[in-house]
Amino acid sequence: MPGLQKEKFIVPIGPQHPALKEPAHFEFTVDGETVTSASVRFGYVHRGIEKGTENRNWAQAMYLLERICGICSHVHSTTFALGVEKLAKVPAPPRAQAIRQILLELERIHSHMLWVGVAAHEAGFETLFMYSWRDRETVMDILETFSGNRVNYSANVLGGVKYDLGPAQTDSIKRGLDYLEERLHYYMKIVNSDESFLRRTRGVGMMTTAQAEELGAIGPTARASNVARDLRVDSPYLLYEQFPVTIVLGSTGDLQTRFVVRIQELFESIRVIRELVNHIPGGDLTVRFPRRIPEGEVVMRTEAPRGGLFYFIKSGGGENPVRVKVRTPSLRNFMSVLVGSVGHQLADVPMILSGIDPCFSCNDRMIVVRREPGKETAS
Amino acid sequence: MSMEIEILLKMLVFPGGLTLIALGLLYEYIDRKLMARFQNRIGPRFLQPLADAVKLLAKEEVVPQGVIPIFFVSLPILALAGALTAGLYVPMAGFAPAFSLPGDLIIVIFLLGLLTLSIGLAGANTADRFSILGATRTLTQLFSYEAPFLLALLCPAILADTWQIDMVHQSVLGRVWLALPLFIGFFVAVIGLMGKLELAPFDAPEAESEIVAGALTEYSGRGLALFRLGKNVELVVGLTLIAAFYLGGLANPLEFLLKTLGLLVVVAALQALFARLRIDQTVGMWWRIGALLALAQLLIVVILKGVIL
Repeated sequence: MPGLQKEKFIVPIGPQHPALKEPAHFEFTVDGETVTSASVRFGYVHRGIEKGTENRNWAQAMYLLERICGICSHVHSTTFALGVEKLAKVPAPPRAQAIRQILLELERIHSHMLWVGVAAHEAGFETLFMYSWRDRETVMDILETFSGNRVNYSANVLGGVKYDLGPAQTDSIKRGLDYLEERLHYYMKIVNSDESFLRRTRGVGMMTTAQAEELGAIGPTARASNVARDLRVDSPYLLYEQFPVTIVLGSTGDLQTRFVVRIQELFESIRVIRELVNHIPGGDLTVRFPRRIPEGEVVMRTEAPRGGLFYFIKSGGGENPVRVKVRTPSLRNFMSVLVGSVGHQLADVPMILSGIDPCFSCNDRMIVVRREPGKETAS
Repeated sequence: MSMEIEILLKMLVFPGGLTLIALGLLYEYIDRKLMARFQNRIGPRFLQPLADAVKLLAKEEVVPQGVIPIFFVSLPILALAGALTAGLYVPMAGFAPAFSLPGDLIIVIFLLGLLTLSIGLAGANTADRFSILGATRTLTQLFSYEAPFLLALLCPAILADTWQIDMVHQSVLGRVWLALPLFIGFFVAVIGLMGKLELAPFDAPEAESEIVAGALTEYSGRGLALFRLGKNVELVVGLTLIAAFYLGGLANPLEFLLKTLGLLVVVAALQALFARLRIDQTVGMWWRIGALLALAQLLIVVILKGVIL
């Protein structure tokens, strides 16, 4: 069958596929087991959140934006709150900022640990998956003692935070972090020494520094390729100037390095949280905040667990935002998956995909209905 | 007349048929439970495998478009029949095999391979892309572990000077465990069994994060139940065979349970320990290491036999 040989064999992954926890559609053209090209489509979970903010007042918009991501929820509401506070020129008190920063770093711990489990699952290493998610419960419990919630803590209000750091929270943080630090050392040992796991991660999804720059990668994905880009250091917000983090860099840019970089970052997070808890500034939790925000525009950038998060907020002087534009970090990393998977085995593709710690639903800005090949209609 | 009834009973109740299926479900439960405990999970309830099987058997079997229906329906039956037949030739529960003839070791290995072959064909039969990829991987893997597995089982047979399972079994009964002097062969046999059953880390043919359920993606209802029962039976038969050959034989039912379950613990622990191997890594490992080890073991056995006897 000579005709059949020429035919392209396309493996569709998604929108519904066991490897994907959220809907997206990937098409991988394979030659045997080797991937020859890749493409991606989004738009299955477009929720209209940006537009939704325009019909809500500033406080309501913040709670809505917190729901963009189910994992890094606090970073969204914090970024928005910081932006609005900048517009209103009413900064939150230092104690509130410290509590926000503690929550941000706790969130990073739970996000990265979740990722370690997911990536291990894609490699078929179920034991590591189960262990890391068990230990992740520690940080979830800490977050619960803070706010009563495990995922959307809704800790922010415009001009401050709702929850104080009391003795109960301090105690649970200190005990939890001690346990987590010990476990993370163990995971570090595993990702660096487990031979069967290294066979699936070493040299897989390689991205050089030049490629990372060219493809615009950000976050731990870029840092594993030796791109020193971290907004906590580059343009410090909250109390990152008084309590700085060190950028963790990897040199090789393969999956194994991304594991190492992410776990190293957690040690940094743990250190910063401890410092913050020990030297937390006193004072109020909130300030009086105006209902109407003066006319103007602001850009706010923060470092989410997956990379730089970008918010553009425009106020017309009223009670509602005129325009809120969100650029989530996963969007900038997807190109590295499409480029990086070409030439790899199909078996490595889920690993490469999960290597950027993708978050699909926060990418969706519009729906493209594909009527016939080559002809697309936006709606 | 009573002879026919006896044969029928042997095939359908003990040691074949129902006993094998019940043991298969029990061993699946133990395997899953052990895995779960190793992974810090709760694991299934005792009747879960049975409930799964009953539920699947009761469900409608969807025959997808683009398949040859007769193959689609008959391949699961063939797979289970192959595994069940293989069980008649091994010393199940420590009793003498139901049937025994010279050279039945080869028959059993062929019958055990029939399951894998059926799964591969079933995947190739459907038009689903995941199935086809899974089938390719299943058959690729079949070619990599089959030869080393056969060689590993041949070592005790060569020592006993017969290719009849019962005779080999009788010759090792009460002696020192062959797994001690022939530890390479034992190791290759256990790993080979894991490859045959597509257990982690050799589960690339059904890697759920890549190709959903591999060759069996399109199967639902009865077909899936039969394939799963076939795998369970093959697990029991394989464990029995290895225990009979390498662990000093199975003198009575208690010894059978202890030895096969001990082996199952090892298999479960190995499953929990490793990340999944890519299919190229599996093939490379078997041909570069597995086959060489098995050959070396065979050579050692042949030479030793020549020297000592």
